[in-house]
Amino acid sequence: MSGRLKLAASFSILFLAYPGIASAQQQVIGAPPEERNMKLVGASDLQARSGYQPTIHHQGDRWIAYIGHHGGSDDIPAPVNPQTGKAEPNGTSIVDVTDPAQPKYLRHLPGQEGKYESGGAQMVRICDGKALPKGDRNAVYMLRTFGGEAHEIWNVADPANPVLITRIAGLKDTHKNWWECDTGIAFLVSGAPDWRTRRMTQVYDLSDPAHPQKIRDFGLPGQEPGSTGAVPTELHGPISTGPSGNRVYFGYGTNKGGFLQIVDREKLLNGPKEPTADNLRLPEIARLAMSAFNGAHTTFPMPGMPIAEFAKDKDGKTRDIVMIVDEAILNECNEPRQMVWFADITVENRPMMISSYTVPEATGSFCERGGRFGAHSSNESMAPVYYKKMAFISFFNAGVRALDIRDPYHPVEVGYFIPSITAATDKRCVKIDGKDRCRVAIQTNNVETDERGYVYIVDRANTGLHILELTGPARVVAGIQ
Amino acid sequence: MRRWPAIAAAMVALGALSGAAAYQHVAPRQDERTGAWQEIAWPFPRDGWPAGKAFRCGVAACGAEVAVYVRPKIGFCNCDRGVADDDEVDRVADLDLMSQHFVPRAPGDVVRIADMPGRIRAYDLNMSDGSRHAAIGVAVSRRCDLLVAVAHGRADAPELRRAALELLATREMTRWAMAAMEGR
Repeated sequence: MSGRLKLAASFSILFLAYPGIASAQQQVIGAPPEERNMKLVGASDLQARSGYQPTIHHQGDRWIAYIGHHGGSDDIPAPVNPQTGKAEPNGTSIVDVTDPAQPKYLRHLPGQEGKYESGGAQMVRICDGKALPKGDRNAVYMLRTFGGEAHEIWNVADPANPVLITRIAGLKDTHKNWWECDTGIAFLVSGAPDWRTRRMTQVYDLSDPAHPQKIRDFGLPGQEPGSTGAVPTELHGPISTGPSGNRVYFGYGTNKGGFLQIVDREKLLNGPKEPTADNLRLPEIARLAMSAFNGAHTTFPMPGMPIAEFAKDKDGKTRDIVMIVDEAILNECNEPRQMVWFADITVENRPMMISSYTVPEATGSFCERGGRFGAHSSNESMAPVYYKKMAFISFFNAGVRALDIRDPYHPVEVGYFIPSITAATDKRCVKIDGKDRCRVAIQTNNVETDERGYVYIVDRANTGLHILELTGPARVVAGIQ
Repeated sequence: MRRWPAIAAAMVALGALSGAAAYQHVAPRQDERTGAWQEIAWPFPRDGWPAGKAFRCGVAACGAEVAVYVRPKIGFCNCDRGVADDDEVDRVADLDLMSQHFVPRAPGDVVRIADMPGRIRAYDLNMSDGSRHAAIGVAVSRRCDLLVAVAHGRADAPELRRAALELLATREMTRWAMAAMEGR
C-alpha cells in the first residue's frame, strides 16, 4: 500500500473503532481508581446512600465526618441500615474518621422520606457549644436540613447518639446553609411559603440553638411576597466572613443565569427587615453576573491573597478573590460546560472574572462515560492547611480535582482522583430515541478537607465516602511535609 | 494510489448527507404551517436555554395578531412536584422574554399538554413603549423537565388562551413536544 492509502486505512480503522475507544473509558467493577498526586487512604460505603455535603469536625480527640444524603433512588427508596436491620430513608451518616484508614460508621440518622432531591437531609454544618455565645458548653451542635421541609439542630456530643434540639419547619425547600460558630448567626437557605422563589435566605440567630431567633427574610427584589414581573434566579448558598470581614457572598443559580451577590453583613442583620424591594436592595454592595450558561453553586471567598506576579507593583499586590463553582445537572454533557471561575473583587463595586478552570474532556472521554461531567462544589474549609493555596473541586465522573490556586489568575491542576465503581454504584440514564440508555460511572458530588490535610469525597451515585491524601508535587504546593 | 481521493470524497459526502438528514429531522422549516399558524424564526437573543419554536397567527384566522413561543427547558423542574403552583408559572414561562414587567390577572388553572400536566395563567404585560398587552403563560412538566409556552398579541386573554391551547394541542405540536422533551 502507498503511504497515503495506509493513512486512509488507519483513519478508517480509527473511525470504525471509535465506539470501542469510548467504551474503553467506561468504568468497570474491579478496575483500579484513576489518580495523579492523590491516593486513597480509606473508604466507607455509607450504606450505599447518595452522598451530598460532608463536614469534618475535630471533636475532642476524635475526628468525625458528618455526611448529608440525598433521598433514595427509584430502585431503593430507603436502603437497609445494617446496624438496625431496618429500611431507613436517607438522612445523615456519622462516621468516625480519627483513623482515616479505618473509618468507623457510627450512626445513620434518617431524613425525610422521598427520592433524590425530594428527600434525605442533604446539608450539614457543625458548631461546638463552647464556641457559640449562648450554647451549652458540653454540646456539639449539628445543623442539618430535613428534606425540603425543615432545618434541624441536633446535639451530637455523643455522635453515635444524637439528640434533637430544635426544628424550624413549614418550608417548601432548603439547601446549603452557612452557620457562623463564633456569633451563632445562621444564613438558612429556605423556601418561605409566601416567597415567589423556591430558595431564599432566612437569617437566624442560633447562638442559643435551643431557642432560634429569626432576624429576617432575604432575597432578591422580585422574589419577595406580593411582587410581580420576572422572578430572579433562586439562591443556592451563602458563605459569610463573619463580623470581621463583614461580607456575605451569595451564589445564585446552579447551571444557568448565575451570579455572585456581595452583601454588607452588618446592613443585612441590622437594616430594615420588611421584605420590600428597597429593603432587599439596601445591603447589596455589588453583583457579578455570569453567563446565562453558568450558575453559581459555591461562592468561596479568599480575601487578601498575595499575588506573586504583582509583588513589585506599588498597588494591588494582594487581591480579594472569590472562587465560583457551577453545578452540572444534566447527564452526558447535555448542557453547556459547568466549571470553576475566579473573580477579583478587590474593587468591590467592579468585580471582574479573571480566570477559569475545567477538566479537559478528552483526557477521559468524560462526555461518554455516563452520568454528569462538570463541576459541582468545592471544599469550604478555611483551615490553613489549604486555604488560599489549594482548592478541591468535585467534578462528577471526573472525580475530585486538586488545583494550585496560589496564583488565582492562573489556576493549575496538580492532582486528581477518580474512585473505582462498585456493585453499589447506581446507573445514570439519558434518553436515546425515546428509550433510556444507562451507564454506570462515579459521580463525585461533594468534597471537604480537614485540618490534617485529608480530603473527603462523597459519591452521588451511592459509591460512598473516599478519604484521600496528596502525594508528590501536590503535597509541595500545600506545604505539607 | 488513486483510491485516496475517492475514499476522502466518499467520507465527506457521507458526512454531508448525514448532516443534512439530521438538519432536516430537527430544524423547523420557516414556511411550515400548523393550521392557521405560520412558523416564524425564534425572535429572541440567545439566553440560557436553546431556542424553541415560534408561531404567528393573523387577524383572519385568529381574530387578532397572536404569537406563541414554545420550548423545552430540560432539567429545570422539581422532579417530584412538577409545576405545582402559579409562582412556578411566573418563574419559568418565558414571559420575561417580552417584558420584565408582568402582572398576573388571576389565579391560574390546571392544564395538560402533550400528556404532560402543568398550569396556565393569564397576565398583563407592560411593554417598554408603555403599551399593555394580554399574555398567557403555560408550563407543563415531565419528571425533571419542563415545556413552557407564552402567547401574546392584541387579542384579549380568553381568546389568547383558546388560540394557544388549540395550537399546542395539534398533532404536529404534540409530536414535536414529545420529541423535544426527549432531546430529539
